[in-house]
Amino acid sequence: MHISEGVLSGPVLISGIALAAVGVAVGLKKLDYDRIPRAAILSASFFVASLIHVPIGPSSVHLILNGIIGLILGWGAFPVILVALTLQAMLFQFGGITTLGVNTVIMALPAVFCYYLFGRLVGRQPCIALSAAFVCGALSVFLSAVMVGLALTFTDENFLKVSYLVVTAHLPVMIIEGIITAFCVAFLKKVQSDMLPE
Amino acid sequence: MKKSSSNKNLKRCKRGFGLIFFIMVYIAGIGPALAHKVTIFAWVEGNRVFTESKFSGGKRVHQGDVIVYDSDGNQLLKGKTDDKGEFSFGVPKKTSLKIVLMAGMGHRGEWTIPVSDLEDVAGSQTKITSSRKTAPKKTEKQAEGPHLSSNEMRLTVEEALDKRLRPVMKLLVESLEQHDPTFSDILGGIGYILGLLGVAAYFNYRRKSAEIDGKKTD
Repeated sequence: MHISEGVLSGPVLISGIALAAVGVAVGLKKLDYDRIPRAAILSASFFVASLIHVPIGPSSVHLILNGIIGLILGWGAFPVILVALTLQAMLFQFGGITTLGVNTVIMALPAVFCYYLFGRLVGRQPCIALSAAFVCGALSVFLSAVMVGLALTFTDENFLKVSYLVVTAHLPVMIIEGIITAFCVAFLKKVQSDMLPE
Repeated sequence: MKKSSSNKNLKRCKRGFGLIFFIMVYIAGIGPALAHKVTIFAWVEGNRVFTESKFSGGKRVHQGDVIVYDSDGNQLLKGKTDDKGEFSFGVPKKTSLKIVLMAGMGHRGEWTIPVSDLEDVAGSQTKITSSRKTAPKKTEKQAEGPHLSSNEMRLTVEEALDKRLRPVMKLLVESLEQHDPTFSDILGGIGYILGLLGVAAYFNYRRKSAEIDGKKTD
């Protein structure tokens, strides 16, 4: 999911930065002080989750956890993911500094989208909530994969071909993230139901 | 009644946590091979440049595009890595070479060979040709005894050294380039995030204490 430096063209990088800046501004505005510790914990999880690899098929991919971040934080996903990605770029050389904007949008936008799509459903009875959480975890990864394809289209690669590649490579991650998101939601519903959106 | 249901919940939670923990450990234990960083490294040997491409974690890059540029950014040649992630080419031009690997899905690696590395190559190339030209004369001279001329000796030693040093060079270059996340990196990152949390908490504290002060003066 981390696009390396020097792959994308200038306009794509700049529009990525612009979109990310807007997202982060909205996110910081919506993220009140009381929810900052929560955001920090999720940021740390995202930061570490990328080190958990799922080597299935020809390639291997890592966990992203943007579904659960979106579900709990909504727009707050933007600043949280930006912070974690910056640290990953600096400490692990994943992605790059110039591609930070694009990578943030790739992972945070699906998170926000899933928040609006599934946020309400999670508050319902357990059966609906759990399936919503599963789909949320899986769909956010799927959308991120499609966005990687979209970003690469503007350089010379074929959109359908790249998207197909990235999506199939992330199929196992989608399933695992779905399960993890469902577990997290089930747990939070019992222990700390005010963390989930109503 | 209530107590028993909460007990049940607790048990379920524990079980859920156990399962998550198990999944985490299982996934983490499967093996380090990931696809979000890709590296290519190259070294010069004789008049050929050898490259090796890997995803961090050691998985080789199959059929990745390797593109070689000169110092002005002109494309010199293009090729594909084999199943071992290797690709080699003859030195096309005496200039610093920028070798770019495109491994698909937005993964890109880069390696630069400075001119100084290639100066040696060009030198040894001319040495070889010159030694070939002068070879017949030398054999005439050497007919007297089995000793080699200093030039030939040097070439033979250089060749043997190249051969012997190849794995060492590879290792050196690899260790320079490869930087897999270490435990301290991970802890460092988490530390930064906690630091940011601290900054936010500080501002929150100032805001709240200002509010309280405001109320007091009222």
